[in-house]
Amino acid sequence: MHEAMSFARSFSTAGLWIALAAWPIITAGPAAAQTALASSDPMEVTTDTPAYCLQLLDRVSELVRLASAPVPREVTELTTEGQRMCAHGQTRMGIMRLRSAVMMMEKPDSPSDR
Amino acid sequence: MIGRGLFRSAGFRFGAVYALLLAISAAALAMFLWWATAGLLDRQTEAAINADAQGLAERWADGGLAALIVTIEDRLAQNLDDDAIYLLVDPTMKRVAGNLASWPPAVTTAGPWYELPVMRAGMKSLANVQRYELPGGFHLLIGRDVQVRAQLRKMLTDALLWAVVVVILMATVGALVVRNLFRRTLANISATSSAIAAGDFAQRVKLTGRGDEFDQIADVINDMLDRIGRLMDGVRQVSNAIAHDLRTPITRARTRLEDAALHAETPDDLRAAIERAIMDLDGIVAVFQALLRIAEIEAGSRRSSFDRLDIAPLLADIAELYGAVAEERGIALRLETPRHVPAYGDKAMIQQAVANLVDNAVKFSPPGGTVRIVATVSGMTSVAVSDQGPGIPPADQDKATNRFYRGESARSTPGSGLGLSLVLAVARLHGGELRLEDNRPGLRAIMLLPLPEDAESAATSQPKHDVT
Repeated sequence: MHEAMSFARSFSTAGLWIALAAWPIITAGPAAAQTALASSDPMEVTTDTPAYCLQLLDRVSELVRLASAPVPREVTELTTEGQRMCAHGQTRMGIMRLRSAVMMMEKPDSPSDR
Repeated sequence: MIGRGLFRSAGFRFGAVYALLLAISAAALAMFLWWATAGLLDRQTEAAINADAQGLAERWADGGLAALIVTIEDRLAQNLDDDAIYLLVDPTMKRVAGNLASWPPAVTTAGPWYELPVMRAGMKSLANVQRYELPGGFHLLIGRDVQVRAQLRKMLTDALLWAVVVVILMATVGALVVRNLFRRTLANISATSSAIAAGDFAQRVKLTGRGDEFDQIADVINDMLDRIGRLMDGVRQVSNAIAHDLRTPITRARTRLEDAALHAETPDDLRAAIERAIMDLDGIVAVFQALLRIAEIEAGSRRSSFDRLDIAPLLADIAELYGAVAEERGIALRLETPRHVPAYGDKAMIQQAVANLVDNAVKFSPPGGTVRIVATVSGMTSVAVSDQGPGIPPADQDKATNRFYRGESARSTPGSGLGLSLVLAVARLHGGELRLEDNRPGLRAIMLLPLPEDAESAATSQPKHDVT
């Protein structure tokens, strides 16, 4: 019984050290080493704005204009929907639709549904 | 104080060890799950950013600044996941391309990862970014929006932490159950021991019937208690026997001396009375010596001097010694032994035991009868001494080995009733036994002893001072 207690004590001590050593891994950020907080003030992402919506609309229009093959119906629908959403303040959703339209025109074989 | 008291309890320690082992196992599992899920998400983000950086570096190498700018704008336009962050600045940190308005001041070094708070359509988010240095003093920032992943990681971490808390609670409950089980089992043994210590020797530890380690302990304790009971019965028996059986010769010696003191008329009468008293006292001393001898044998203190023996010569000596006595009484004494009779033990004790059996056989054999000493070796060493006397009734054979037992047929022959007790003590000390059988007519007393190989292996597995 004394030997069993001694073994259990050693096992428990080893487990505690492993747990203590591994605790930083749990609370760490990226799996790599240091991750510093870059800035306290959030930086504006410029591709979430109505201006970028217009930029993507222009891009789609240019692609449609230069297209040699018939423009798929989905492209037209996505473009219309994206434009409508951007106009109604749903900027990020609209941008996603417009990006899908761009992908369908520039890479017709790639999946564009998200 | 309370803590120290708790840790003195073996039940608490067992329960605590169980709880700790369960908690550590659960924590280890949680850590692995976290690494396999949230950790995987982080590693995927880094891999995507590094691959992106490599692609852009190739575009720079192929087409220079203009090609890089076009590529960044293309990637932003095709970013269906809506998570890409790019910023290309010139040596003066002026924005050239990308979807950040300006360079984050804190991102100063290429290599380490930075967590960058960003604002996306009025909502706060979080990005992981890394800085890359380009030729010509240009700087490139590539990152990914990890808000969703950060939320998922937080949810996972919280869930695992709660799981660990639940496991710790379960471990505590389990530990209490283990401790109570432990205490309940030991309480049984403790209560029985207390009852015995208080004088109730009939108590025995209850067995659960599972045959586990606790039942084995209970078996051993019960065997020990049975042995103690037998010993105490033996002590009680000897005390009673001494009181009853030795009182008579002591009283007789006293009476004779008293009578001589009152009525002896000549010195010769006095001398004769004293000599008779001395004989009585010698008989009493012999009885006490035999009792002490039996006690010494039963204590097992001589076992350390055991050795391998051949008792064939010993049997021959006894046959020769008692042959003359038997012849005087018209009794035939036959010895039948193989050339070698192996045994393991004390030669003097075995000799005394066999001598006691032969002495009894010669004493109780009628004239014209035959006493046989037969030794055989078959699985055990057997020495059987048989006579054709009155024998011992089967109903009395169990009692015949008790101290001071004298059967009805032995009342008229001299003796103290200790002979068979001594033989039994010797046999048990040697790991054997004594059997009494009906010789039709007469008694056959068989002393069985283990063979040397068996006795030696039994001796190495038992403690030296085991009491038979």
